[in-house]
Amino acid sequence: MIQLQKISRHYPVGFGKNYILKDIDLTINEGEFVSIMGPSGSGKSTLLHIMGLLEEPSEGQYLFEGERVDRMNEKKRTQLHRGSIGFVFQAYHLIDELTVYENIETPLLYKNIPTSERKSRVADVLDRFNMVAKKDLFPNQLSGGQQQLVGIARAIVAEPRVILADEPTGNLHSDQAKVIMQLFKHLNEQDKITIVQVTHSDVNATYGNRVIQIRDGHIQP
Amino acid sequence: MWRNYLKTALRNLKKRKLYSAINITGLSAGIACFILLALYLRNEWTYDNFHAHATELYRIRFDYGEKDQEVTHTALTPNGLAPVMKDFPEVKYISRVYPSATTVAYGDKVMNEKGFLYADPAFFSMFSFPLIAGNAATVLSGPNMVVLSETMARKYFGTTDIVGKTLKINNKNEYQVTGVAIDAPANTHLKFDFVASYASLGKQDTWNSANDYTYVQLASKATAGALHGRLKNLVKEQMGSVTRSGVTLDFVPESVPGIHLHSIALNSTEAGGDIRYNYILTIIAALLLLIACINFMNLATARSAERGREIGVRKALGAVRGQLFWQFIAESTLISFCAVVLGIMIALVLLPVFNNMAGVTLKLGLDSYHIYLWLAGVFLCTTFFAGTYPALFLSGFRPVQVLKGRVMHTSGGSIRKSLVVFQFAASVFFIICTLVVSNQLKYIQQKKLGLDRSQVLVLSGENFSRQMLEAFKGRLLQQSGIKYVSASYDSPVSVGGGYTIGNLEGKPADYSMNITAIPVEKDYLQTMGISLLVGANLTDADVQDILKEDKDRVYHFLLNETAIKQLGWTAETAVGKRMVMNGRAGTIKGVMKDFHFASMKTKIEPIVVFPEYEWFGEVLIKTSGDNQQQVIAGIERIWKEYLPAVPFGYHFMDEDFNGLYKSEFRTGTILSTFSIVIILVSCLGLLGLAAFTAEQRTREVGIRKVLGASATSVVALLSKDFIKLVLISLCIASPFAWYAMHQWLEGFAYHTRLHAGTFLLAGTIAIVIALLTVSLQSVKAALMNPVKSLRSE
Repeated sequence: MIQLQKISRHYPVGFGKNYILKDIDLTINEGEFVSIMGPSGSGKSTLLHIMGLLEEPSEGQYLFEGERVDRMNEKKRTQLHRGSIGFVFQAYHLIDELTVYENIETPLLYKNIPTSERKSRVADVLDRFNMVAKKDLFPNQLSGGQQQLVGIARAIVAEPRVILADEPTGNLHSDQAKVIMQLFKHLNEQDKITIVQVTHSDVNATYGNRVIQIRDGHIQP
Repeated sequence: MWRNYLKTALRNLKKRKLYSAINITGLSAGIACFILLALYLRNEWTYDNFHAHATELYRIRFDYGEKDQEVTHTALTPNGLAPVMKDFPEVKYISRVYPSATTVAYGDKVMNEKGFLYADPAFFSMFSFPLIAGNAATVLSGPNMVVLSETMARKYFGTTDIVGKTLKINNKNEYQVTGVAIDAPANTHLKFDFVASYASLGKQDTWNSANDYTYVQLASKATAGALHGRLKNLVKEQMGSVTRSGVTLDFVPESVPGIHLHSIALNSTEAGGDIRYNYILTIIAALLLLIACINFMNLATARSAERGREIGVRKALGAVRGQLFWQFIAESTLISFCAVVLGIMIALVLLPVFNNMAGVTLKLGLDSYHIYLWLAGVFLCTTFFAGTYPALFLSGFRPVQVLKGRVMHTSGGSIRKSLVVFQFAASVFFIICTLVVSNQLKYIQQKKLGLDRSQVLVLSGENFSRQMLEAFKGRLLQQSGIKYVSASYDSPVSVGGGYTIGNLEGKPADYSMNITAIPVEKDYLQTMGISLLVGANLTDADVQDILKEDKDRVYHFLLNETAIKQLGWTAETAVGKRMVMNGRAGTIKGVMKDFHFASMKTKIEPIVVFPEYEWFGEVLIKTSGDNQQQVIAGIERIWKEYLPAVPFGYHFMDEDFNGLYKSEFRTGTILSTFSIVIILVSCLGLLGLAAFTAEQRTREVGIRKVLGASATSVVALLSKDFIKLVLISLCIASPFAWYAMHQWLEGFAYHTRLHAGTFLLAGTIAIVIALLTVSLQSVKAALMNPVKSLRSE
């Protein structure tokens, strides 16, 4: 599903280049639950951002379902971004001015989904996450764990093929983290959503079926 | 989608109250001022445009001047001109207009009316002053006919259904009401309350004096040029005897819509507007709106750090730049909509104040759709102008950078700084202008005029015969508190030229000089406080000399220093010399010290004061100034004895002099008021920026405090940058202000000088204001508990 070939990412320092990622070759198949691990500054997040089309690689090729992303036009890329990829962040990144309901609705708005369908899909997700009672609350009225649940609900509402999660439990205590990880596992197994998570925690990594170690911009064999 | 945008915008507005308040207040203040100024300017630019035949209407200007002397341009023409021009093929309609304040009586209602015009029958056919009652072609067709404005009809009769009724005019004649006209609009130079038929005046057509306005409507296809050509020929025919080589005599058609702003003619029915002031006000209006928009842009981009995360998230969720762009435009729309609504309300509330200040009667015609189109235009312009840059700027954020927490603290900083500099440069510019203008106005009022205009009461003299006046004067002088009584043909501020002196002793026979002259009663000099350099004051004997039979009549003239200088004489040698002025033979009795009788914009001109008892327009009463009310009541009592049928009215000579600078005072007030608004709005922007900077640097301030920085040093740290910006704007604004004010002062023959002090003062004001604004926030930041600010990170 996701194929990275000789992907590098660098930025200029003086006259030279400083590599964050160097010659990454990686294939992630449909239905996998992959955990990317490594110390701070090793390039994990950058790798995730490249997969999520938030950042472009300096060198190398990125194929999404066999198609070269760098050759796609802007429209197709936006479609891919909106339709196939969902994001979950460590700091939740909910929009403070929007209610739970509206936060979840936002990706559908950007996808130009008609009102009635939008309503039913948001309602489904709220129902599934047991958050119907909280739908009119604002993010600052929720606990961290609840906020992250909203974050995940928001990520799956557009029915993506892949969820990219950047340390999804980094700001949560272990009980909450467990709930979230079980949810990911469930999404992966029941809904067949491919999941790529960046994590520091060995415990969290065990929920996945593959672990990729990254160090100084290289994948460790 | 738009609902979502709007919802976010509303919640943002509510959440950041200070920011929203600053934005909306600033913008609405800008918009309110813009609306007021635009109304005023629209009135100015559309003067007399409303006439259906505006482009065909011309007023004839009269230019005259002696050889090698300056040409005088006047709007007054001989009344003999119109009857001759009537037969020109270029002329479709022609009308003379003769304004004459008079008394109007209906039953026991007797009032002095200033807006009283006499006009020829074509008046209402030429000008688009619609009649409610009466036929435009015939309302002025015979003697003793009068048309009233709607307001006047209601004032005297309580109704407009008054055709056929009669009014007693000037205490003598019964005029029949033949029509009622809708009140003349504010944007015409021909404002009237009454228009009576010219034939009622019973004046002889003459070429020897110029007291009437002549208006024509060109025949179709005729041009003003052709008319001018024909008038040139006419001058040769009619006035051939007086045209010598080098003498200017010319009748020039001036377009009626252009009169208000472009006419160079003196003695117009209404003081003209100054096109330069209109340009200045246009600039102020545009600047006000611009500065308010700049505030908006500055604050929006300054808050980018705060909004950055949201933008990043939205982009990660699949928003493209276009969608975010429109989201921010929606926010601007909301804010500017609030501001426009508030601005309209402010403008409505302030309109009467503004009208009073600007001496106009403007209305915000909310009943016509034009105004809505126009306001919608302002709204759209503001929204897009203020909203586009922040929207482009914010929607351009790279999601990864902001999500990683790498928000560019300095992004847009230099643009923001330039905008603040621009705002403050404008503020400093206007502070300087306001200071200079008020200095000059103070100078005008305090300058020694060479005459003492204070405590001089002016009454109308036109109803007095010579004997009556003398008796009246005698009675007045018995009153305590009255020092002198005199009379003159006209007010010293509106004395006309048109006199020529010649046959001067010791000068060639053909030498002549144009001069201004005032026919006066003998005590004029004492009453006006004019002092003599050489010679003696006018006496009863001098008056007897002018009352003699033609051949024995001798005039005694008083000339001013400037006249003597221009004649190439000295004061001592001039006294006793013979001269003739427009057929009046006599001798020079004395030389007066120069005094300012006209505006300070012009140099003191040669002037003659001479006794002539034919007609006095004004009675002048010099009072001691004590018990003012009692003295005036006394005067009124005596007036009633002599002229029981004429309502008593008076004004002070000071008002006449201030009237000379009406447009300067008005501009001064408008300028200072709007300068204050510009400064306030700029300060609002600065306040917002300072609040933002303080917030942004909370952590830095916290660390510095932990390291031992004092509150003062923190305040200095946070204020320093802003003060630098204000200093830069001072440097930018000063040369512009110097140039502009230099030009303005050059328009006065007598003016103050520009000193560095003014500029220093303006700079100090700007810095103090900026410092106060900024320190409000800085002090707050400096006093914050560092533990709190550091923990929040």
